[in-house]
Amino acid sequence: MDLVTKAKWDKAAANFDVMAGFGPEKRWEPAKTRLFSKMGDGPILFLAVGTGLDIRFFPPGRDIVGIDISDKMLEKAQPRAAAYPGKLVLQAADVHDMPFPDGHFAQVFTSCTFCSVPKPVDGLKALRRVLAPGGELHMFEHTGSRYFPFNTMLNQMTWLSKRFGPDMNRDTVSNVKIAGFTVTAVEHVYLDVVKTISARA
Amino acid sequence: METRLYFLLGDLVANAAAGAAIGAICAAVFGPGWNMWLAMFVAMFAAMPLTMLMAFPFGALFGAMEVMVPVMTTGMVVSMWVSMEAAMTRIPVAEGAKMGVCGGLATLLLCYAANAYMRRRTSHWIS
Repeated sequence: MDLVTKAKWDKAAANFDVMAGFGPEKRWEPAKTRLFSKMGDGPILFLAVGTGLDIRFFPPGRDIVGIDISDKMLEKAQPRAAAYPGKLVLQAADVHDMPFPDGHFAQVFTSCTFCSVPKPVDGLKALRRVLAPGGELHMFEHTGSRYFPFNTMLNQMTWLSKRFGPDMNRDTVSNVKIAGFTVTAVEHVYLDVVKTISARA
Repeated sequence: METRLYFLLGDLVANAAAGAAIGAICAAVFGPGWNMWLAMFVAMFAAMPLTMLMAFPFGALFGAMEVMVPVMTTGMVVSMWVSMEAAMTRIPVAEGAKMGVCGGLATLLLCYAANAYMRRRTSHWIS
């Protein structure tokens, strides 16, 4: 397990809901609800479940495993998981070293995750490994921008933001392709910075 | 485009406040003794991290990137504008703040227009 990343998110867990629990979740509610409505019946992996803020957007009755690198985050997520009307198991795990057999999941969902995974392409390859052939990857992510001045600004700010949290200039759509997925849909939620990405293994 | 009143008002308040703060600071710091281009670059590079920090409390209330990106853009635009003006002629701090509010609201409008444009272009980027 990547202990440096774990320590960063363990530290962030204490105030995570203060920063992310109200404004961002309310603002993103329509887009996240739309994305998570794609959850099917098969086993689903939710990567980086964090403090479980997204659980209230999950459709009921699904079979989900939620993983996160941070134990402290998972402690906060536990009551939200217990209240979910379906099967939702939380487990501490690093995306680079997941304890699941190849092809185990029908779908994988992520939410603001690949701004923070230290080796994003390796992480995405690991997700492809645990997905069944033809399995679906659905992501809600913020990324860098192709447009000036947003691209310059996000590039400049990443040196600061990565010290306490995420990178702000990742090219996650390209990373998904490099990891071997076939991108099937990209929807911009805000500018070309916040987006949903759907892909097939 | 965002249509929920709470978030529309939040965007207005965040950008106006950030613009006012940056405009006032630039008016206070820069004056006719400064080279115009040097003032612009110094102000711009100082304003971006400063507005990033300003965006955190507004972000907790009104959204993450939807607040941070326009507020940081406001910081960049207002700092360039007010610092260059201040390098040419002395600007009172209150006047700098007013310029900042105008710059912040104009920047927000441009971000809304850019958002509408980019959301329409999504389909061009699918492989």
